[in-house]
Amino acid sequence: MSAPFFKFGAFGDEASLVVAFAIGIGFGFFLERAGFGSARKLTDQFYLKDLAVLKVMFTAIVTAMLGIFYLSWMGFMDLSLVYFGSTYLVPQIVGGLILGVGFVVGGYCPGTSVVALATGKLDALVFLAGVTVGIFGFGEAWPAIAGFVNSTDLGPLTLPQAFGLRYGLVVFLVVVAALGAFKGAEAVERRMARREGAV
Amino acid sequence: MNISLASWSLPSKLALVALGLGALALFGDPYGGGAVTIQPRELAAMVQKEVDHVSVQELSDWVLQGRTDYRLIDLRDATAYAAYHIPTAENLLITELPGDSLARNEKIVLYSEGGIHSAQAWFLLQAEGYKGATILRGGLDEWNDRILHRAPAASTPTAGTLPPTPGATVAAPPAVKPPPPAAAPAAAPKKKKKEGC
Amino acid sequence: MAILNETARLEPRSTATAAARREAAPYMNPYLAGVGLGLVLLAAFVVMGRGLGASGAFSSLVAWLVSAVAPAHAQANEFYADYLGSGVGHPLKDWLVFEVLGVLVGGFLSGLLAGRVQRGVEKGPRISTRGRLTLAFTGGALMGIGAKLARGCTSGQALSGGAVLSAGSWAFMLMVFAGGYATAWFLRRQWQ
Repeated sequence: MSAPFFKFGAFGDEASLVVAFAIGIGFGFFLERAGFGSARKLTDQFYLKDLAVLKVMFTAIVTAMLGIFYLSWMGFMDLSLVYFGSTYLVPQIVGGLILGVGFVVGGYCPGTSVVALATGKLDALVFLAGVTVGIFGFGEAWPAIAGFVNSTDLGPLTLPQAFGLRYGLVVFLVVVAALGAFKGAEAVERRMARREGAV
Repeated sequence: MNISLASWSLPSKLALVALGLGALALFGDPYGGGAVTIQPRELAAMVQKEVDHVSVQELSDWVLQGRTDYRLIDLRDATAYAAYHIPTAENLLITELPGDSLARNEKIVLYSEGGIHSAQAWFLLQAEGYKGATILRGGLDEWNDRILHRAPAASTPTAGTLPPTPGATVAAPPAVKPPPPAAAPAAAPKKKKKEGC
Repeated sequence: MAILNETARLEPRSTATAAARREAAPYMNPYLAGVGLGLVLLAAFVVMGRGLGASGAFSSLVAWLVSAVAPAHAQANEFYADYLGSGVGHPLKDWLVFEVLGVLVGGFLSGLLAGRVQRGVEKGPRISTRGRLTLAFTGGALMGIGAKLARGCTSGQALSGGAVLSAGSWAFMLMVFAGGYATAWFLRRQWQ
């Protein structure tokens, strides 16, 4: 048996939708467990009170990255068949900035707002209406902005390729950077808690 | 100093595991895996059942229909390829085969002059895990005999989709040549839709 | 909507904040939740050969709505046409749409088990509900534009692309944090 199972024809398109639903349940479950159904918990990240967003996100990335790396190294998974999108550097930098602003203004990102809606948050419903309208605006503006959105196309580029480093070395550096960030996050949280206590 | 692992908090234990796996990753190569074990019996069964073959009639239908869900590979040298090749075919030498240009999940049709070269290439690809590799039965020789220089009387049941005169077919290839798979309008939206989130 | 109706009985709408939150179970340790999330992400890669997503599902929804109202207009627009596909299947019969439906169910299950399903509006004490909802809509619209510009949101780009070490995803991720920290001070009244 070789992974990715779908790419090797283990099941068809119809069954893949069932898989999508099942994986979605797991995704939503852990997002809610982490507290990401709450806009205040999420935005506390940006007021340095609770850095759960950073901790959860980087732990998830490190876990999946290590899993992909070792499964591929063992020959169980064919990394060349794993899909990921092309890098469009400038639109992604601009899009990231807009998304970051939208995060603080709206309190959620698309995935977490779905979880928040599931747990009854009305603001998440309004947020999702905003997302839909935003995408609609983007679609209507498409003829005018298509040139920019498709600019700086670097293809499916990985960090190891971009910096000319070995894949394993980048994996190691990401782990070290994440552990460093966690240590820093704990220190920042402690300091903020002390300051709150003093006030 | 008392360093008992049991007294460590859960995050610290997780961090230790991550650090260990990260350090070990320095010695690994994720693209180097994929050591496919050859299953002689499975291959023999495929040959026996002839599932590894595509007939020239089938292929000519696919070409005329403009199907883009397969890759047609011409294994001959560049001069022979330039002189004539089956419409939509790409030129790859056997030495270039298990490279980046083909994916393991693609349907691949191989052809050469006769059948031997493509049969060897087929085995090579199967051994590398390209399960979708197939051979054009009879190769270009049979394509020439049955499709290009076919007398009208010898029409096969599938000939209905082909122009009636052989001369027209010979002239036709550039006209029926669909765009390369990557640029096909039907395939492109599917790809783009998958873009993450 | 069924979810909202059901949970409305638990708590009146306006008080679903501090008092209710105290009764709810505490959140999971973030590192443990991260490992769980990472394993779900890994499962997506192993089973499907792709990562997770969220905003793509809403793109399919928008494209479908536009095509229902103005079919010719939708087909003429490359952006919508991409999400409408070749026209063989329904635009909503899409991997990400079904995944997001799963997120809805998974989030509800977890919230139910922890006693965190409460109808209400999340906000800081210094902003009106109306102000909060206006900002939620504005933020959502920005998020929709930003996610389409970057070809993915925090799930599709940051999480999934990050795990396969996509260069664009890491650049995107750093910019999300940069954009957030740059704006936080101006919106402190909404949250703190």
